[in-house]
Amino acid sequence: MAEQGVLDVTDSNFESDIIKADKPALVDFWAPWCGPCKAIAPVIKELEETYGDSIIFARFNVDTGPNTPAQYGIRAIPTVILFQNGTVVDQLVGAVPKSHLEEFVKKVL
Amino acid sequence: MPADLYDVAIIGRGPAGLQAAIHAAGKKAKVVVFGKLEKSSLYRAHVANFCCFEKVMTGKELLEGGTKQAESFGAVFIEQDIIETKSETDCFTVVTENGQTYSSRTLILTMGISRKKLRVKGEKEFVGRGVSYCVDCDANFYKGMDVAVVGNESAAVTGAITLLRYAKQVHLVCRKLTITDLLYDQLNNSDVKISRKAWVKEIIGSNEVEEVLLTTGETLKVNGIFIELGAKGAMELAANLGVVFDAETFSFIETNKWQETNIPGLYAAGDITGQPWQIAKAVGEGCVAGMEAAVYARKLADS
Repeated sequence: MAEQGVLDVTDSNFESDIIKADKPALVDFWAPWCGPCKAIAPVIKELEETYGDSIIFARFNVDTGPNTPAQYGIRAIPTVILFQNGTVVDQLVGAVPKSHLEEFVKKVL
Repeated sequence: MPADLYDVAIIGRGPAGLQAAIHAAGKKAKVVVFGKLEKSSLYRAHVANFCCFEKVMTGKELLEGGTKQAESFGAVFIEQDIIETKSETDCFTVVTENGQTYSSRTLILTMGISRKKLRVKGEKEFVGRGVSYCVDCDANFYKGMDVAVVGNESAAVTGAITLLRYAKQVHLVCRKLTITDLLYDQLNNSDVKISRKAWVKEIIGSNEVEEVLLTTGETLKVNGIFIELGAKGAMELAANLGVVFDAETFSFIETNKWQETNIPGLYAAGDITGQPWQIAKAVGEGCVAGMEAAVYARKLADS
């Protein structure tokens, strides 16, 4: 089991907690008003319980700061981006089934 | 708590919604049904395999009959789409396309499934880079930009009006609008630029969406296109309430054998809960949902 659950990240700690992290990271860009974001949140939590030891699971509320979402060209939420060594491995847009997200996560395992 | 509180509100006027209304109203619950008859996927179908109807019936005949039946039991019909759902303490509120708000102790989702994808060149390639399926989610990313919305129904029109608050210019691409008169007036009095008798032929760009080619030959220079076909469905209305979707496809609402979702007081029935797409399955689930919701509402009222 992972120790910390899904980490909340913002513009201020994105660099230190995601880009410079010693592990790959999955970041869920979301907002409180977004229905499909609510739908995938529990799925991401479940994946964190399974893979949280080897991957950092984080979420970025796009309401809290525009810089990081703009930097990664985010135009739709939910967008889930997988990072490794500070670079983007892949990204997924929209609410997708758990099996689909799990395949996605395995790209950095 | 609102004074004109309903016991059971039903979104969707297909066989699941009508059967739910009949059974809930039959249990003396105060029932309201939202939606348009002709939007049910049954409306244009011919039915030959529904038990007890030996002769082939048109979907329209069945739906009209079901509506009269539900009305005779006391259900009220509001011929509008729902554009917003909210969960409050001890009740749900819904907002219609005309902007009216209704509250109910329980809510049954029977709006079926509808096509979401446009299936045109460029659509898949630009998802998340200018192509969006959710105005409520993504409008904020298009501040000061030019956008298009495509669709003929309430989701597209309310979406276009919403986008006026964010975008510099909003285009609506539609073949023929099927919306309420009030929404039509709102649209005509707004700054939305309408391309009528038109549809999207291709979405064009290099890295992001740059323009949209219409069937009329016209080209719209836009940064984004919102695809909003039909009325708002499960992902927009139900996900907002925190409903759990099926793990396999993430398209249908998970229910138990009493048609309960994971949210107390919230039920789902018919196509929205998954296959098979059959009237018999829809009315079966609608019956259970209607009865369960009526009983649950009574308990809430008495407590």
